[in-house]
Amino acid sequence: MSRPGPVADAPAPSRPAGGPEAVLADFFARRGAVPLDAPMLQPAEPFLDAAGDALRRRIFLTKGDRGETLCLRPEFTIPVCLAHIAEAKSLPRAYGYRGLVFRQRSDEPAEFEQAGIEDFGDADTAGADARAIGGALEALAALGLDPAGLDLLVGDQNLFEALLEALDLPAGWQRRLLRSFGDEARLQATLTALAAGGAAGRRSRLDPEIAALAKPEARPALEAAIAARMEAAGLPPFSGRTPAEVAGRLIEKRLFAAAGLAPQALAILQDFLGLECPLSEAGRLLRAKADEAEIDLGRALALFEARNAALEAAGVDLAAIRYRAAFGRSLDYYTGVVFEARARGSVLPLAGGGRYDRLLMLLGAEAPIPAVGFSLWLDRIRQIVDPQEAAR
Amino acid sequence: MSVTLAIPSKGRMKEDAVASLARAGITVSAAADNRSYRTSVAGAEGLDVLLLSASEIARELRDGAIDFGITGEDLIRESAAEPGDIVEIVARLGFGRADVVVAVPDPWVDVETMEDLNDVAAEFRQRHGRRLRIATKYWRLTQGFFARRHGIQSYRIVESLGATEGAPAAGSADIVVDITSTGDTLRANHLRVLDDGIILRSEACLMRSLAGPADAGLAEAVAARFRAS
Repeated sequence: MSRPGPVADAPAPSRPAGGPEAVLADFFARRGAVPLDAPMLQPAEPFLDAAGDALRRRIFLTKGDRGETLCLRPEFTIPVCLAHIAEAKSLPRAYGYRGLVFRQRSDEPAEFEQAGIEDFGDADTAGADARAIGGALEALAALGLDPAGLDLLVGDQNLFEALLEALDLPAGWQRRLLRSFGDEARLQATLTALAAGGAAGRRSRLDPEIAALAKPEARPALEAAIAARMEAAGLPPFSGRTPAEVAGRLIEKRLFAAAGLAPQALAILQDFLGLECPLSEAGRLLRAKADEAEIDLGRALALFEARNAALEAAGVDLAAIRYRAAFGRSLDYYTGVVFEARARGSVLPLAGGGRYDRLLMLLGAEAPIPAVGFSLWLDRIRQIVDPQEAAR
Repeated sequence: MSVTLAIPSKGRMKEDAVASLARAGITVSAAADNRSYRTSVAGAEGLDVLLLSASEIARELRDGAIDFGITGEDLIRESAAEPGDIVEIVARLGFGRADVVVAVPDPWVDVETMEDLNDVAAEFRQRHGRRLRIATKYWRLTQGFFARRHGIQSYRIVESLGATEGAPAAGSADIVVDITSTGDTLRANHLRVLDDGIILRSEACLMRSLAGPADAGLAEAVAARFRAS
């Protein structure tokens, strides 16, 4: 991954009045976002719990006096969520933040400045999504970036989820494919493996006694056999995987392994994942593809089109945004729309965000709270708007 | 000027290291004081041989505090993100062979591959209210293998400093990443290595630090004796 320079032949962007601090303060006020300041030193547990241990090598960890693991704030979304949960403020509500974050990055400084808005509790999903995308674009322009020098990219995990459901794939396959969404190479590898199915013929070393019981009608005996083995192995009976869970997954796995993903379903998935077009064309093309495949993308497609309409109503030019069906962002807490703005030709985001409807519950909220937000990479933006100042 | 070479301070690894130095014409004998970490060396002008613990050797190589070291490849790969940037493997010495592996409780009959484990890990939180826990002393190797190689994000590492293989039965972890030479200890603890669960096939290596300010000519002369042998 090469590090992009500023856009070489773009017209000189107009310098915003006042510094970025004043511009952002104005922007938050215009958007009704309450400024929120999160401590720089954060408990590490919520970050590792929400993102998984793989995050550990990208963040800066330390220990507190009582042995608790702390980290330098690697981003703002989780601290904003935690602050909101702790104060139990009324909804809907939007928070604005700006400050340093700390992450190991390959070719850039590990300490850099981000700003953004997190928007909680708006039941109008399409409206809130459009507000987040429109807000990111407005903030980039206010900071002095020329929209003509940007690549804007939108993806929607909901549509992929709806397609998997419409194709009536086994639940385990749906989960496996959804998990790979956003990582195009991995998703293709998963599809290939499912299509090969039983034909790939890995010889299982499964114990013959268990293999003989691995069918729905023998399930009680299978569970008993697994329970006996767990007891013999001394596994704690009230923690971790249960005999029923192991038996259920084994039966499902053997039921579907033989068949493999049908060629027709594979073709529909590949056709969908290959779609890339201006966002203004996307609704029509998706409808045509769904009709051709005789499937119904239902509410997911209706939401997609309502979001686009809301964006247009807010004055966003849909023709200037690319929709890519296979586009997802690397954080696995996103649940719906995702978007990024990058300097033309670069892969590094200047702004990025999306919908994360499950995160607040995961972090301890008592009820589900719809949430959508975006972050700005102020260091990268400064590089483009004011390279001399940024170099000092 | 001199160059330093560290070998493991005790056990089978020490004997094997001394034997492989002898094959390269370097005789190492214990210093007069038995508790000393220094040795007397014959057969290589300007070479100091130190006795250190195997994991300390990996760290000192990384930091450039010693010029050469004989230790397990697993330890050096665990000590830095990009081991190729900090040490050069001069020679594989053919002893201390062991594999770093992913092993699950044998009663998990539905889990045979890393892809199976990925399914289980992804659903673990929803089913059990916590993430899948992995006991290991190899957190760097584990993360590289799980996240980068297999795209598994959803797990927590429980650092284990000894008897890792007992963690699932003790209830402190669900699975293990551990080192094994014969697999006997894992089997005795009802653990089973996944079909594609070998993270690293390790053996003792002579490694040269790329960080130290070594006497380049002398260091090259030492390295050359092992490359030839």
